Amino acid sequence: MTTHIDVEDLIRKTQQYEFVDGLRDLQMAAIMALLGAFAWFSLTVAGMHWYVRLILYLKDTFGSWARWINGLVYLLILFTVLGGSLWIMSILRRKWLWQESGWVKSLRWQVPRRVTVLSAVIMLGGIALGLILLSAGKVDESFVLRMLWAATGLGFGYTLIGMGREIGLVRYIWLGVFGGLASTTVLLLPLTFGQTAILLNGAWALALGITGSIALRRALTTIRQVNHGR
Amino acid sequence: MADEFKQITNFDRLIHEPSRLAIMAVLSACESADFTYLLNATGLSKGNLSSHLSKLRDAGYVNITKGFKGNYPHTTCALTRGGRRAFDAYRKQYLALARRLQKEAHN
Repeated sequence: MTTHIDVEDLIRKTQQYEFVDGLRDLQMAAIMALLGAFAWFSLTVAGMHWYVRLILYLKDTFGSWARWINGLVYLLILFTVLGGSLWIMSILRRKWLWQESGWVKSLRWQVPRRVTVLSAVIMLGGIALGLILLSAGKVDESFVLRMLWAATGLGFGYTLIGMGREIGLVRYIWLGVFGGLASTTVLLLPLTFGQTAILLNGAWALALGITGSIALRRALTTIRQVNHGR
Repeated sequence: MADEFKQITNFDRLIHEPSRLAIMAVLSACESADFTYLLNATGLSKGNLSSHLSKLRDAGYVNITKGFKGNYPHTTCALTRGGRRAFDAYRKQYLALARRLQKEAHN
């Protein structure tokens, strides 16, 4: 232990700890893939058929409450995926990844507030722009529907860039730039809502899956080297 | 120069000690961290870390929770609200002084 302490480096390394093993990327990739597949499937004939059956079942079972229960089903699926992935991450970290290096509970808000606010403004601004262009007759309805995904992608991309800069993880900056470009590209392509969802979320999932796998592999190699060095 | 001297004397001495500064810096960047992580991050020995944590706990800067993870004892540390405030104030003072000294060195 030297008497010189690099406070900023210690802070940055602790902030990065939650993200360096790549599990967060893989979690986001899984959520993106699921979201895209769900949005795409719900607009196919089979998806519509399944949805109508669900609504009828809920109506028969819960009567007038069916409308609320229907909303809760989606929330339940979302929370199950989130909770399940956090549980798996916690097991992997406890058993392997963080067993030797120690446990950290990260801050609830890693992203600076101004970044969160700006990404929300980008998202809402994009949707508003789509609606304005539609009312001016410059674009058709499909553009506005594509804009829903594109604006969400741009907002999320900006969040990743802000987080990457804040905690000093360059891969998030590149991911954010990639997501922003992909979002802009799908906006300009003649795609339906479902196609946009599967294409854009698929691109996000692929990119996050690749960065997550690389980071995880690197973390596992480091652990193996530490164990061999003993 | 007199101003800088005055600023330095205003530093929170409990935090300014290098080992405790390292502990506070790590804990300021998370909600909580366990003893193993603090050991690895700060490079302190177990005895030193324990002793510095006790001092920070006595000052009301750190909360120490002792429990079990499976069959193994597990100690978790977190900054208290007062601890976080004190570290933020220290960091602000420290960065302001560093900036000022850097500026003067350039001039």
